[in-house]
Amino acid sequence: MEVWRPSVGIERLRALTGANVASHSAFSSCVVSAPVVPWHKAVTDRLEQLLKLSKGWDGYDGVAVRFENATFAIKVLELVFPGHGPIPQIVPGATGDLQIEWHMDQADIEIHVLGPYRVQAWRATAATGRDGEEVRLTNDFAIVARWINEMLEPRRAAHTTAA
Amino acid sequence: MMPISTIRSDDLPDFENPPLNEVVVGVQFAPPQAYQLIRAGEVWRLFASEFPHVEEHPPIMPAFELFGGPPGPPISLGINVQGALHNRLWFLSPDRDQIIQFQPDRLLHNWRKSLSPSNEYPRFESMIARFEKELTTLEQYFMSLSGERLLCNQCEISYINHIPMTGGDLPNRAGAWLRFLNFGEPEPDDLSGVIRRVVRSESGAPVGRLNCEFVMDTRSLGGLVLTLSIRGAPAGADIATAIDFLKRGRQLLCVEFAAVTTDMAHKIWGRVR
Repeated sequence: MEVWRPSVGIERLRALTGANVASHSAFSSCVVSAPVVPWHKAVTDRLEQLLKLSKGWDGYDGVAVRFENATFAIKVLELVFPGHGPIPQIVPGATGDLQIEWHMDQADIEIHVLGPYRVQAWRATAATGRDGEEVRLTNDFAIVARWINEMLEPRRAAHTTAA
Repeated sequence: MMPISTIRSDDLPDFENPPLNEVVVGVQFAPPQAYQLIRAGEVWRLFASEFPHVEEHPPIMPAFELFGGPPGPPISLGINVQGALHNRLWFLSPDRDQIIQFQPDRLLHNWRKSLSPSNEYPRFESMIARFEKELTTLEQYFMSLSGERLLCNQCEISYINHIPMTGGDLPNRAGAWLRFLNFGEPEPDDLSGVIRRVVRSESGAPVGRLNCEFVMDTRSLGGLVLTLSIRGAPAGADIATAIDFLKRGRQLLCVEFAAVTTDMAHKIWGRVR
């Protein structure tokens, strides 16, 4: 029987080019959507709620979270937060800013988005003591990715042991 | 402020007849608090003498280039939040080859090739000088509303090249045009891909991202579309710093274009340097 094969396979394209070569979308209609990362809906729902806060929501002059700050926060989470992990709390600030927080046994982490590229990140662990450590960040969030990874490591180890 | 040179730098690759189809320079900024949708007509009037036509298009979502981890699957916020973004307006020149794109958090200027014989690429030096004036005009307008300056947070420059591969004796192999492709036989019918690289400052800190996107389809496109772009945050929030980012980005893109395309292609496009 004749064997069907594409004129150039995608693996061969990758090998030949070394580039991120994607197949054209001719077969995309039969592809099932990628699994949704569990925290996406919870986080976007919460942010959309915070974007709709009315003026004076805090009993003073607080304004809704600014759209560009919410968008920036999502970009940070896309980068530093893996697909599985505890959903962070998201707390509005009074001036359109917001804070992303995890409070766990092993660590507390807070990422304060003051504006696009204006972020203060803080964490406290047994090693840092209660005062913790704080950094100001602009576009490079490698340190926060490391903090979150370290925070989640005991959970992963526990899951592996249980399995 | 130092005057902007409109003379092309001597050390950049140069072509007599590059396959350039469109150039975009743009800046994203914090939406001014005092600006409201009802004022869009006032913004158009700032530019209407040279850009008399208006079109309305869906908004571009805020974009940020971040570093420090592998990006996860993209997530998007709904934009059905009142006042989050309003539509993007195009202000077009009489020939429709120059476009100012405006929305409350962005200003972009496009040049695009048209069928008009007078439609020659105005060259980057004059395009960036013009864009700086347009940004300054917009900033002055926003300042007249509430004293707010433009706080630039992201810059973008893109060069879109249309490389014909059919007709005459032009080679119809992708590898004849792009240095990094070599399929042997048989050639693919169509292909697309993106190569992304982090752009770093002299100190090694990430400042932006260079994207090289290519789409080849000899049937519907008649060749290759090669888009080179750089996006990133300027070192400061003022207009001069944003313009500086765009100028540096343009230099990198010129060098990248010469690096990813073949010597044969350079010969066809009349490389002079």
